[in-house]
Amino acid sequence: MNKFFGIFILSVLFLSCSSDLDFDQVNDLELKPVVVANLASFDIKASQFVIGGVEQPLVGDVMNFKVFNDVNFTDNISRTDLFFEFNNTINRGYQINLYFLDANDSKLYTIPVSVPAYTGTSSIVTKTEIFENATLDILKQTKKIAFLITMLPGPPLTDSSLGSLKMRSSATIYFAVQ
Amino acid sequence: MRKIQFILILLVSLSCFSQNKQILYNFTSVPQSMLTNPGADVNYNWFVGFPLLSGISANVGSSGFSVYDLFADNGVDFNAKLRNVVFSTSRNDKVSMNEQLEIFSGGFKLGDWQSNSYISFGMYQELDVLSYMPKDYAILALDGNQNYLGKVFDMSDLNARGELLSVFHLGIHKKVSEKLILGARGKIYSSIFNVSSTKNSGYFYTIQGTNSIYDQVISANGLVNTSGLTNYIDNYSGNAKSDIMKKTFFGGNLGLGLDLGLTYYPKENLQFTASLIDIGFISHTKEIESYRWKGNYNYVGLTPDFILGNSNDILDEFNDAIPLDTLHTKYTTWRPLKFNSSIQYSFGDGRSSDCNCTGDKENKYTNSVGAQLFAMSTPRTPLMALTAFYRRQIFDSLEMKATYTVDSFSDKNIGLGLSTTLGKVNFYLLADNLLEFKDVSKANSLSFQLGLNIIFPNKNTPD
Repeated sequence: MNKFFGIFILSVLFLSCSSDLDFDQVNDLELKPVVVANLASFDIKASQFVIGGVEQPLVGDVMNFKVFNDVNFTDNISRTDLFFEFNNTINRGYQINLYFLDANDSKLYTIPVSVPAYTGTSSIVTKTEIFENATLDILKQTKKIAFLITMLPGPPLTDSSLGSLKMRSSATIYFAVQ
Repeated sequence: MRKIQFILILLVSLSCFSQNKQILYNFTSVPQSMLTNPGADVNYNWFVGFPLLSGISANVGSSGFSVYDLFADNGVDFNAKLRNVVFSTSRNDKVSMNEQLEIFSGGFKLGDWQSNSYISFGMYQELDVLSYMPKDYAILALDGNQNYLGKVFDMSDLNARGELLSVFHLGIHKKVSEKLILGARGKIYSSIFNVSSTKNSGYFYTIQGTNSIYDQVISANGLVNTSGLTNYIDNYSGNAKSDIMKKTFFGGNLGLGLDLGLTYYPKENLQFTASLIDIGFISHTKEIESYRWKGNYNYVGLTPDFILGNSNDILDEFNDAIPLDTLHTKYTTWRPLKFNSSIQYSFGDGRSSDCNCTGDKENKYTNSVGAQLFAMSTPRTPLMALTAFYRRQIFDSLEMKATYTVDSFSDKNIGLGLSTTLGKVNFYLLADNLLEFKDVSKANSLSFQLGLNIIFPNKNTPD
């Protein structure tokens, strides 16, 4: 009886085996998700370039942009691609400058884009900016983005002019979390 | 990053289990079987468990992967193994753990030898953890959303609960007739800590947009309740050990519960049993800290309108749309309800083989075979397990029960239990998933129970 019982206990305690395990492997954990998100978009009608019958050759706006200021967030980023797409259906050309500004409104980085006048067939202008290493640091210091649109010379616009200047843009963020 | 590691380790190590005690259930030579059926056909004049040693049980299970899958020392990159585990499991895979430690227990027969009523009581501490695989969260953490345009990430994939509590219980069972035994057990729960997040909902998706590059929508309704932990989260200066002792003895968040059970003999050698365990709740009123996030956000990015002084701020917008609130309101948790049932057929004359000829032997039959059904409520579909068993009285003092169980963790779970009574000392050892002992690291579930009691057997005659 006791023999039987003893064998059972022994079998449980000593016949059980385990493959080699290495729990320290958890330190090798590296997450590399790639996240895509909208960055900015606008849609300016041709008539918006005319105020009180007078053409406005320069329009601009400044937006807060603090997403990349959070250290917990940015320390885990290895690269960021910003993608821009412009679709102009106004018969005027534009020079568009995006300025990345720091806390003191000083320019850190400029993205210039030339958009040709609309000639009846749509031409989409795209641009991709890659931020890595030093340029990524610039992105991390950016607090605001200024959008400045300069209208180039051409046939005058009126309140009833057709067309619009559209921008769509997105960010592709490469994380490396260790 | 440390947090992620912590959560990962927690998920793996605490992966909670099912509380199926298929070997202990109706193994009536062990008094602790009354905890799985208050109406079990257990007879004694009186018994007392060795303090802290009378009932030790642990049960871990993981339906989707094993420890080996993640931590095998086989040269494969850990990240590759993690990906394999995440992509080979479903959101309904779960890890569970249940641990019970009896602090004290005892019982006695009411009245004289002709009486058929028995009292039993005791206190045990229980740790219970159940977490479902947070699959969509894991995919986002591993891959992000770039390659998943159009996929709707399900926020309800976060579903986990964990609790450490002590239970004081008092039960009675009575032989109503030769054929029927009824039992009930009242319980007072004292929760030492509780974490539960089982009713989350919401979604997140990214698809190609028109006016913006993407249409990105997040809709969230999440809640994590905690009680008994606030003192340890902030700067803690007290003594955790004495705190836990205090909470163990009715100082925690209190609740009430009830177990019900019966044993019925349609014929002398045919037995039917059923029980409902932990019909009860805990009302969390002390040391509560809960976190709620709720709202919808359609993320379009920056939208310059070229009107001076009119600027949107993405972070502010997001925080306004889906605010994270810290709450301190009471909440109630229900104990996982367990249902057990069995049918047993007995055969073979147990008195002839090893006759002690004193006439007070309880078991008339040497062998029994039967089947058991177990079900437990969970935040999603109930856990079910089906068991076939064989019981044998090997000697007067040694009883064995072998089980074969099919459940969501394993379809070839063989268990073996032995209970020996030498003099008045009863010792039992039960373990399941014996086939997995050849490599426990590959096991999807393991459980064992053991304990030591002193039993003064029932007397059917006057002294």
